[in-house]
Amino acid sequence: MASKKRYGFVIDVSRCIDCRACLVSCSVENSVPMNHTRIWVKDLGVQGEFPNLEHTFVPYNCMHCENPPCVEVCVSGATYKDPNNGLVLVDQEACIGCGFCVEACPYDARYLDESRGVVDKCTGCIQRVEAGQEPACVATCVGGSRMFGDLNDPESEVSKALKNAKTIQRLDYEKDGLDTDPNIYYIHGDVLESGLAPRDPRYTVAETGWKKVLAPAIFAGIGASFLVQGTYFTKQLIEGEKEFDE
Amino acid sequence: MSGHKNISLMERKKLRSKMIKKHNLANILTHWFNVAMWLMLLPTGIAVISSPRLGLAPVWWQELFRNLFGSTANLIKFHYTLGLLWIFVLSFNILLGFRKYFVPFAATRMLLDTDDIDWLKVKPLQMLGLFKDKELPPQDAYNAGQKLYSYVVILGTLGIMSSGIVMTFKTVFPPVLKQIAQPLHWMSVGAIVAGLIIHVYMGAVFPEEKEAFFSMFSGKVSAWYARAHHEKWYWQKVKEEMEWEDQVERELADNLAEESESVASRDDGRVSTAAAD
Repeated sequence: MASKKRYGFVIDVSRCIDCRACLVSCSVENSVPMNHTRIWVKDLGVQGEFPNLEHTFVPYNCMHCENPPCVEVCVSGATYKDPNNGLVLVDQEACIGCGFCVEACPYDARYLDESRGVVDKCTGCIQRVEAGQEPACVATCVGGSRMFGDLNDPESEVSKALKNAKTIQRLDYEKDGLDTDPNIYYIHGDVLESGLAPRDPRYTVAETGWKKVLAPAIFAGIGASFLVQGTYFTKQLIEGEKEFDE
Repeated sequence: MSGHKNISLMERKKLRSKMIKKHNLANILTHWFNVAMWLMLLPTGIAVISSPRLGLAPVWWQELFRNLFGSTANLIKFHYTLGLLWIFVLSFNILLGFRKYFVPFAATRMLLDTDDIDWLKVKPLQMLGLFKDKELPPQDAYNAGQKLYSYVVILGTLGIMSSGIVMTFKTVFPPVLKQIAQPLHWMSVGAIVAGLIIHVYMGAVFPEEKEAFFSMFSGKVSAWYARAHHEKWYWQKVKEEMEWEDQVERELADNLAEESESVASRDDGRVSTAAAD
């Protein structure tokens, strides 16, 4: 629905200087453990021929996909796509930290917080956004590379930036009937490099075995049992009951 | 069930009115506690599993329970809090009654013998409508199907408990264990539920087994039911009763002998004093 919010990021690649202030402010805002971050900056290295050299840095975090493979595999529904704002979030009270989603994410945008036994990721700083502020990474971005807002609202900063952009690219993953349809738009730079290409979603042995072997076997067992019970019950209903049964 | 159909009317009436104890109070209470826990844990557990890729529970069911409890987290907390209580009470009961109830139960009521193997060969075919005239071998306090199912229940319960603990204490166990725990939990429940459908039907609805249902409250079944459905166990009970009768008679005879002896000695005394007079 057009009236619903669809939060996303627009990142101007030409303005990122790899200062990593976004990583710091994000970690401070969200109490991210010291050995992890929710944002990463990929260094694509120096490209071109002297003197026309280019050095591209690509910041990335959770793409808040329209069709997130991580949500597909979450057993309890702890990971969900918020229907009101489009953000992919983790209810950490419901999460047990099994890591099915970490394996499934084609962007490796999630990590396991071992000390709390949960999965953690970018939340779009929803606590700040709902209070009318920008996400920490956007507020702190000195180069003005990062922008955040409602992609469904044509008046938002992100929509205007996309309208005026010379180039727009996304790290879309489209294969075997799965189209992630990510909500990070990269402008003014070439990010379609092999080092940044999304990987295939990984499905763990436990999860795949459950889906392909255990579930059919158990359902067959329950079905057979139900059939036996149903046959006897029908027979009982037809034949009626005696006062003294033997 | 050889021959119980030829028992005379008088004998049948006698057998119907005579009750034999089958379950003790500890087992009855533990059974109904288990029932109450399953009634709450099974629906909430099914509602938790909402993975679209697995697609194991209907969406309306998931949403119903999430709305009832307010959130996914509350639903899960209810499920594992009750689960921990279930684990605690069942373990407590088994440990407390280990020597008095559990060991005798496992030793006398769960082991399969050759009659049970024969029963397992014949019964499924009879259920399919074949060999209707073939007689079923006599059964113990529990028939071979029940015995077999008891192993499924015990292994399944252990699987549910261990995997449930792994998922509940999420900071203690490594992710790979938490990954395996989820299908193990589901599979154990599924295996038990497959048998549970038959168990509940046979126990509560099937007319021939009506006495079994009431025995889960009173602890008793009629001698007629025992004779017809659990013949070996019935004869075992008859043997025990006869031994008890013999013992009581022996004791009574001993007491009588003792008493008459003491009376005789008293009489002897009286005779001797009379003689002295």
